[in-house]
Amino acid sequence: MEAFQFLMDGFAICFQWQYLLITILGCLVGTLIGVLPGVGPAAGTAMLLPLTFGMSPIASIIMLSAIYYGAMYGGTITSVLVNVPGEAASAITCLDGHAMAKKGRGGSALAIAAIGSFIGGNVATFGLVLLALPLTRFALKFGPPEFFSLMFVGLSLATSLASKSMVRGLIAAVIGLLIAMIGIDPVMGVPRFTFGAVPLFNGIGIVPIAMGLFGIGELLLTAEGSKSAVINTRLGEMWPSREEFKRSIGPIFRGTGIGFFGGLIPGLGVLVPTFISYAVEKRISKTPEKFGTGMIEGVAAPETANNAYCNAAMIPLFTLGIPSSAVIAIIMGAFMMNGLIPGPFLFTEHPDIAWGVIASFYVGNLILLIMNLPMIPLWVSFLRIPIPILYTLILGFCVIGSYCAENSTFEVGLTLVFGLLGYAFKKLDIPMAPIILTVILGPMMERALRQSLEMSRGDFTIFFTRPISAVLLGLAVVFVITSLMKMTAQVKEDQEV
Amino acid sequence: MPTMKRPYQITASILFALSVLITYESLQLKYYTPLGPGPGFFPFFLSLCLAVLSLVMFYHATFKKSDPRPKDFIDSHLGYLRALGICVAWIWAAAMLEPLGYRLTMLVFFPFLLLILGRVKWYMIVLITLLGSLVTFYVFSIQLSAPLPVGPLDGVFEPIDNLLY
Repeated sequence: MEAFQFLMDGFAICFQWQYLLITILGCLVGTLIGVLPGVGPAAGTAMLLPLTFGMSPIASIIMLSAIYYGAMYGGTITSVLVNVPGEAASAITCLDGHAMAKKGRGGSALAIAAIGSFIGGNVATFGLVLLALPLTRFALKFGPPEFFSLMFVGLSLATSLASKSMVRGLIAAVIGLLIAMIGIDPVMGVPRFTFGAVPLFNGIGIVPIAMGLFGIGELLLTAEGSKSAVINTRLGEMWPSREEFKRSIGPIFRGTGIGFFGGLIPGLGVLVPTFISYAVEKRISKTPEKFGTGMIEGVAAPETANNAYCNAAMIPLFTLGIPSSAVIAIIMGAFMMNGLIPGPFLFTEHPDIAWGVIASFYVGNLILLIMNLPMIPLWVSFLRIPIPILYTLILGFCVIGSYCAENSTFEVGLTLVFGLLGYAFKKLDIPMAPIILTVILGPMMERALRQSLEMSRGDFTIFFTRPISAVLLGLAVVFVITSLMKMTAQVKEDQEV
Repeated sequence: MPTMKRPYQITASILFALSVLITYESLQLKYYTPLGPGPGFFPFFLSLCLAVLSLVMFYHATFKKSDPRPKDFIDSHLGYLRALGICVAWIWAAAMLEPLGYRLTMLVFFPFLLLILGRVKWYMIVLITLLGSLVTFYVFSIQLSAPLPVGPLDGVFEPIDNLLY
């Protein structure tokens, strides 16, 4: 009951006109980002981070969160109507969603996706409300060794799940940690890896890293082979038939469950729950052979799962301070830029912000449902903007964003450096999510490690003698061994082939 | 069929060289102090991890079956030119924002990119350049209170500034 009282207080905050306006704006911008091919939620939130600089902490977090779930919905529009996923999570929706659009049922597919996203998002937020206080109270028992072990578990999961190759995932994580070491050492006040460059003394901010890796890197890659989207489908009726509704109920609830539990696992990413939910529907269907030809179940389940995932992924962030994906890491960066540390103390020190943002998830999901269906023709018209104009405008915005981060052209240059790194990593299939996760977690992890070793006077057994820490490290070892076994089996399989 | 063997060998070598540099740099910092682990402690272990991982990557690339190289790994010359154009425009912006100011820098940045990235009608180039350089400047400076850099030659915009401020 206590949590619901806090939630009501949160609603009182997020129903203030300025926050409502920001939620609407975030949903609009997010949907636009989702619609535009080549600009995913991570790139979009990274590029728009500077827009929130002048805002209050609560407004900036509400805006970025709305951009995030708006982008997840926007990606569906292009998947269904153009067969080009606006973001990776919507790729599976192309199969049946586009087939429905070809039959003139695009409107129904989008309506079911919107309803499923609404239900999935709200159920996951309800989970956050239920779990927030118990998890937070549990996390308050954590000392530095437990926090270090918790972050270690998060990172081991993120690196083992983020890439096809565990080695490449680990390399990305170590590179991120090393980037996080740049700047003045927080304990001794000694510059590290700055090579005499004064602008590096404060470390490298989240904006050039996120904007470079996800934004500029992606644009460089897509500019190599720019193609315009071709719209050859019809929206048709905007409301699903009674039969389509009936067939969607089960997939929506199963998708909610799969997305919700997927969001709780750091590093799993949104692709896995969406693909699993599609696979589950196909498996339990009486007509699995019809999947791919325009089955409403193939739209309802993955679309619900991806929004349930997005909202559930906020649970580890809000309660434990662990970002579970690249976009959540960027949102965590926004918290930190506003002087807030997500995690158990957020609920005790800034309950207004924590509950205001949580309440805004409900409002944002409702806004997306009400606003987006009538606006689909408008979103589709954005796809007709020629690629050179679109990319030029995005790049111009990125220049402003990277400059405004620190009011320095050094940041603009750094953004290009990270853009080139992102471009190379994409070509080499080195995952970028672990980099951004470790850049955010690195300083906290180092602080926790050093404090733990100060407590134990240099004795590493402190991590194994404290029960919670030992259990967490045990889990990390299990995850790493499982991934190694999977990798070895894959290598053997490849050699046999 | 071309594979990813060579790109991964090169990447592993670069990462190994980087790990050597970081190990050297972290050894210049204090490893341990009376207060506990020093500033060099964590980076030292990280650089060792990077060295080991780069060696594993090199081993996998050289002695194990390599992944096939994706078709778009090496793109057309035109594609590379477009990507290079973006880099050149970005370098121009980074170098000129402070000496020239936002408006003059972007008056070059936008048309250059529009010409490099594809065919755009001349009036669209003019429109987007004005929108991106002048209108954006006033929106950010006046509406969003995010001052963009002003250069010594920005006096040419004084008549517009007098109208708007």
